[in-house]
Order: sequence, then C-alpha cells, then structure tokens
Amino acid sequence: MSEHSIEVNHLVKKYGGFTAVNNISFTVAKGDFFGFLGPNGAGKTTTLRILSTLLRKTSGEVKVAGYDVDREPNAVRRKIGFAMQDISLDNLASGWENLQLLGVLYGLSPADARKRAGELLGVVGLSKVADKWVTSYSGGMRRRLDLAGVLMHDPEILFLDEPTQGLDPQARRIIWDYLRKLNNEGSTVVLTTHYMEEADALCRELAFIDKGTIVRSGTPAKLKAQLGGEQIILTFGSADQAEKAIAVVTPLLEKETPAVTENRLQATVKEAGKIAPKVITKLESAKLFPASINITQPTLEDIFVKLVGHTIQEEDESNLIKGRDPFVEGRM
Amino acid sequence: MQTLNFLREIKYLFIRGLKQSLRPVPALIPSLFMPAFFLIIFSAAFTSLINLPGFSGKSYLVFYAPVAILQAIFFSSGDAGIDLVVDITSGYFDKLLIAPIRHVSIIIGKLIGVGLRAAVQAGIVILIILLMGGKIVTGLPGLLVILLLGGLFGMAWSGIGMTIALLTKNQRATQSSFILFFPFTFITTAQLPLSLLSGWYKTAVQLNPVTYILEAFRSLTSNGWQTHTIWVGFMVAAGVAVLTIGSTLLSFRKTVS
Ligand SMILES: Nc1ncnc2c1ncn2[C@@H]1O[C@H](COP(=O)(O)OP(=O)(O)OP(=O)(O)O)[C@@H](O)[C@H]1O
Ligand SMILES: [Mg+2]
Repeated sequence: MSEHSIEVNHLVKKYGGFTAVNNISFTVAKGDFFGFLGPNGAGKTTTLRILSTLLRKTSGEVKVAGYDVDREPNAVRRKIGFAMQDISLDNLASGWENLQLLGVLYGLSPADARKRAGELLGVVGLSKVADKWVTSYSGGMRRRLDLAGVLMHDPEILFLDEPTQGLDPQARRIIWDYLRKLNNEGSTVVLTTHYMEEADALCRELAFIDKGTIVRSGTPAKLKAQLGGEQIILTFGSADQAEKAIAVVTPLLEKETPAVTENRLQATVKEAGKIAPKVITKLESAKLFPASINITQPTLEDIFVKLVGHTIQEEDESNLIKGRDPFVEGRM
Repeated sequence: MQTLNFLREIKYLFIRGLKQSLRPVPALIPSLFMPAFFLIIFSAAFTSLINLPGFSGKSYLVFYAPVAILQAIFFSSGDAGIDLVVDITSGYFDKLLIAPIRHVSIIIGKLIGVGLRAAVQAGIVILIILLMGGKIVTGLPGLLVILLLGGLFGMAWSGIGMTIALLTKNQRATQSSFILFFPFTFITTAQLPLSLLSGWYKTAVQLNPVTYILEAFRSLTSNGWQTHTIWVGFMVAAGVAVLTIGSTLLSFRKTVS
C-alpha cells in the first residue's frame, strides 16, 4: 500500500468541447482531512465523480486506495463511500430498508446490516422515523439518512460533496463531530464545500479550485499566513489622534504603511501577537491611548478573493447558461 | 464464491425492484383495472360476434380471455422503464453503480421482478375470467404454461421501456413508450380471428410478434393443447426478449461507461 490514499496526476475531464477539469494533480495522505473549496461550476463534483468511479476521465491518472479507478473499479468501490451532492435515496422505502439494502450490497450479512443500520440511524438521529418512507422526510432528514448510507460499510475513504448543505446548525455540528471522529479513527475524508467555516473547522489540507484548476493548496494556517496576514485595528477617540499614531506605528511594521479611515488605524502584519504589545508601549510613551485594539485573523474567504478575484458565492453566469444536457453528454 | 455473491446481489436487487414496482399500492390499480375493464366491456359489447363463421360458436368471453391476459402483462411490465428512470433521475442509480457489485445485477434483478409481477397480474386476470364464468381448457398445467409465457413476455416487453429510460434519462419520454401498447395489442387477432381479417391489415397482424403470443395464450385458454402454436409463442417471446433485453443491456453499458 502506498502512503497516499489518493493520487491524482494531470487529471482532465472534457464534456464535449468544454473542459470541466483542467489538468489537476494532487495527493491526499492516508488519514487526512482534505477539502475542495471553489465556486459553482469549478469542477468539484466532476472531480469527485471521477474519483468514485462514476464518471470516466478524459485523461490523466487516478489512484484511489492504491487502485487505478479504470482498471480496478470494484476494488476502489469497496474502499470508498460517496455522499453525493444531490441526495440519492430510494424514496418509496423506509430508512431501514434504504440502509439495509446498501449494507448487503456491500457484503454485510442481513443481520450485520440490520445492526449497523440501527447504530447509524441513532448517530444521525433518525431512529424514530426509521420505519417511515423517505418521501415523508424533510430535506435535512434525507441528507442525514444519505450520510448514514454512505457509512454502512465503514469505508476507508469518504467522499463528501457538500455534505452539510441544507442542514440546520445543530445537525451540522453533529455531522462535523461525527466526521472528526471517523477521521480520528483513521478514515480519510475528502469533502467539497461552499462554507468557509466548514473548511476551516474540519480540513487539515485545502485546495482552492476555480474553473477546473487548483489555484492553491496547503493547510488552512499556511494559506492564511502566505496570503492573508493578520490585521491590527486601533480605534482612537478622534481622527486627529489616529493621524498622529501613524508616525508611531509605522516603524514597527515591515513595509506596509497603516491605513487610516476617520479614527481607525488598520495595519496588516505577519505576527500580530508579537507586534501588538510593542505598538501599545510605543503609543503609551507618545501619550496616545486607543479606545480599542482588535486583532483579526484573515478568513478563508479573504484568501479566496485574493486568489481568484471574486467571492465564492458569485455565480458564474456562463456556467448556468451552458447547463447540463444529458441528451448531449450521456450520463450526468 | 463469485457466483454466490452474484446471485446474492441479484436476489436483493430483485426484492428491492419488486417492492418498488408495487409501491405505492394505489398506483397498481390502473394496471389491474384496465385489463379487467376491457374484458368486461368487450365481452358484453361483442356477445353476438360469436355468431360469425370464424368464431366456432363459443362465447366472446372465451375468445377474448387471452387478450385480457396479454393486457395485464403489458400494463404490469410497462412500469419497469418508469421505475428505472425514477432511479436514474433521483440519483439512486448512481448509488447502486458505486456499490461493489456487478452492474448487470441491477438489470437482471429488475427483470426477474418484472417477470414475476407479470405472471402474478396475469394470474389475477385469469381469476377474474374464472369468476365471470370463463375457463381455462388446458387446466392447471395450462395455467402454469400461461404464467410462464406471461413472465417471459413481460420481461421482453419491459426491455423497451428500460432501453428508452437508459437512453433518454427522461421521465416523459419513458412514459410515452406506453403508446406502443396500442398498435402491438390491437393490430393482432385480439378482436377477430385471422380467418376473418384481410388485406394490409391481415399482413400487419401477421407481422406483429404479439399475435403469436396471443395465439399461444388462446390455445391454452380456449382451444386446447395446440403444441405448435404454443411453441411458436414461446419462440417469438424469446426472440423479442433477446432483442429488447439486448438493447437494454447495450444502452446500460453505454450509460455506465
Ligand atoms: N454532464 C455534463 N455535461 C456538460 N457539462 C457539464 C456536465 N456536468 C458538469 N458540467 C459542467 O462542468 C463544470 C463543472 O461542474 P461541477 O458540477 O463539477 O462543478 P462544481 O464545482 O461541483 O459546482 P457546484 O459548486 O455548483 O456544485 C460546470 O461548468 C458544469 O456546467
Ligand atoms: Mg458540485
């Protein structure tokens, strides 16, 4: 076995003439928690569908759990669980039936499948409605049942395509905790998300993806340090005081001159924790007393905007118009 | 071990497919009601037709009974494509595709369910025929042969809907394959025996494979053991099955690769 759970080299996926995934390469270490962040149409789902053997790549090399996705798809399938972006359940069947069928198809005995289904229904908080047909479930309940289904066979590698979309904060928290637990127990997790806090809270490794290419990857802390920098914000009693403070603060900074708006002075620094005390001492000796001092961490959102020049929520109109046409493209 | 797993998968997918096709229960009513409706209406409306020379003097119910059986099979197996397209559009199909199973089990499991349901619905219609005073002249063995042929032809017919489902992935397109029911059941010897037909219509009836299935049913319900007719019925059903299930499997291969 290789030390990597996932190895992707020069992966390309074209839909007709349109390149949805454009030559991406990345690896995910065993036991890692890896996140794809990117706007609509970036190619996240396409990538996960290729990794999970649902979609054929145009070119490149993809190995999952040490197996080539084209040559040994069933070996890959046994190792992975894939929670798809669009929830996919048997709607005319109960929660129990849904989970048990998946269990036996993955090779569990009916008794084991039933036992495991019972456990997971408890974890996702659906024990009470487990006998009801899925048609009577709310969106959030479906999402949770879908996740439970993915976990039936205790997969080594989990692919989660926006797994907490549409969940309320409490349900999201439960899922987060459970994913962390699975990861701590050794599962490798790859998720895509639009929620920056989610990526920040869960992922140890991140890749920003836009228009089919990975624009930057690394740990959240490293990405923030490289691209964001922390901010020290000083608020004074008057604009006059803020002006005076510029001369005092500037020598403490590396290159940047602090920006002043009204009575607020704002400076981007590498290590705010070290610089802040010095700033305060200097200000004190200059008889300048700020009304408040704030140190802010950059958010992943800030970094994303820096990298791709737009926010993650801005829809790419051209993608919407192109749409998806199953008649033209074969399977979706 | 491999074969055992294969059979296991098929078993579970068969059970699931059968459950799916029987749910929700009210949705089953049309497929049971329509054949019964035609049976009752036609045997009441055409009672005097039996006085025509080609009818050999039996009641129209006796003449029409095999048509009702055939319709039960059409109605029950026509749902297979719709069930499949529901799975495809809901994404459930993808879930089955990423399970470590042989993909073909998905189709085989469905087919067995279709065959069983067709046989059961044919059985229900036969029960209605018996209650209306008709009878199966070949008795219990004949009944079993009817159910067997019904199951086989049900699978064959379901292949058309499943092929359309796989190729279009569209509910309405799949649903519209229902209209094939009309030419295939009506351009047959359903209303009149072949000897009373003529011209292009007679040719069309003779070219329609369903005619031969119908005649095999008619032999079993009304005319007695006409071994040749029954054999031809089975051969034609098998031939149609090879074509339609073959095209289902080809479309399936195209879809999953
Ligand atoms: N079957 C298809 N045929 C044609 N184009 C497709 C198909 N599937 C996806 N695309 C296109 O490929 C691009 C990437 O789509 P993908 O679904 O991978 O994006 P995504 O990053 O998952 O977006 P989202 O955040 O909206 O889920 C989009 O421009 C999309 O329109
Ligand atoms: Mg997506």
